[in-house]
Amino acid sequence: MHSNNYTLAFVFIITVLLGTILSFTKENLRELQEYNLKADMRKNILRSLDFEESENEPWSNEVVEKIFNENIQAFCVDTSGNVVDCIIEEVDTERNLEVLPVYLKVVDNKTEGIAIPVAGKGLWSTVFGYIALESDTDTVLGIQFYKHGETPGLGGEVDKAWFTNNFIGKKIRDNSGDVIGVEVLKGKVDNSKASAIHQVDGISGATVTSKGVTVFLKDDLGRYENYLNKVKADGNI
Amino acid sequence: MEIFNSESKKIISDPLSINNPISLQVLGICSALAVTIRLDQAIIMTIAVIFVLCSSNVILSALRNFIPNRVRIVVMLSIIASLVTVVDQVLQAYLYDMSKQLSVFVGLIITNCIIMGRAEAFALKHGPSKAFLDGLGNGLGYGMIIIIVSFFRELFGAGTITLPNGGAGYELFSIPEAWYAAGYENIGLLVLSPGAFFILGLVIWTQRELFGIEEGE
Repeated sequence: MHSNNYTLAFVFIITVLLGTILSFTKENLRELQEYNLKADMRKNILRSLDFEESENEPWSNEVVEKIFNENIQAFCVDTSGNVVDCIIEEVDTERNLEVLPVYLKVVDNKTEGIAIPVAGKGLWSTVFGYIALESDTDTVLGIQFYKHGETPGLGGEVDKAWFTNNFIGKKIRDNSGDVIGVEVLKGKVDNSKASAIHQVDGISGATVTSKGVTVFLKDDLGRYENYLNKVKADGNI
Repeated sequence: MEIFNSESKKIISDPLSINNPISLQVLGICSALAVTIRLDQAIIMTIAVIFVLCSSNVILSALRNFIPNRVRIVVMLSIIASLVTVVDQVLQAYLYDMSKQLSVFVGLIITNCIIMGRAEAFALKHGPSKAFLDGLGNGLGYGMIIIIVSFFRELFGAGTITLPNGGAGYELFSIPEAWYAAGYENIGLLVLSPGAFFILGLVIWTQRELFGIEEGE
């Protein structure tokens, strides 16, 4: 049997050693990890804006950066729709509700889509993503969720293609032109109803996550309403 | 000391055959269900588990005469947890897509019973070189089963075979469109967790038949 002092000393040394090793590892990998994270965000913006990625040649970080720099105009607007200064990568899309990042897809000087970051509470975590609209500011071009901590297999399905593909072609404005978002139903969409154009199939076993998505899509798109109306009125951006 | 004498061989080959950690000791089932949807995930997971298992076995075995008995579980756990965290961080830096797909299951290697089990049952009683072989054997035994399970789950569940390739995966084989046109369908159940139970059950059955192991032996 070892003495108490020995045990304490042993545990102390082990803790310090392991702590040092862990912080050393983290420090050395931080830069690469942050680069990956940034590239992943950009990749999701591109995917939401309907850039095609071939199945067997996934985009490398370099390719993502190239496509992004060539085709995307990134800037911020405020809630009344005016362009404001910002460092777009550092805007906290969950908490900063005044500065709103916008990503435009511009191909051959023609604006083909508008991507907007969305974020909000699911069941366990904040779900982060991008929703892209066509230049009519009404039709959904695509949606991507890139970061969440929902239950794998249930709420975690939000980032799967079967769920996100259902959003494509849905309308975010009602008949009078107000932004209402897209509703994630509990169960399947009844296509015979007129409201089907604003609804997508829910995820079974993930009612809270589905409701959360509905709520934050409405709220986040609502904040961009003035900007989107401006774009719509101008006919171009 | 000779590394490959008959005893060392037994340490490696037992977990692959008559004493497999998953199919015979039924340990580590949780991750065997979770990461076997695609073959490439299973392969990366196998490498991660082998790394953690070998390192934790060697470190704990080297420290076995110094670790105070009363706090040995805590010490084992902190060392294993640190190793797993390092693996997780390295995956995030170099195989980002894969680390996203494996998500929490890399972190959950900490709670994989195989690792604590081998540390307690073997590493604390034997020297580092034997402990290393034991870790390698059990890691390969674990990997063998999850690779078999994921092969069948992916082939019949999703209709593809994917190898690891810089994180996103390289599709080696996929069932031709013509088959689908002719009425072939993927078995959706295999993609879900119950599907893993069925395949795992079949693997356990086959293995017990092969080695003639009877219940209660």
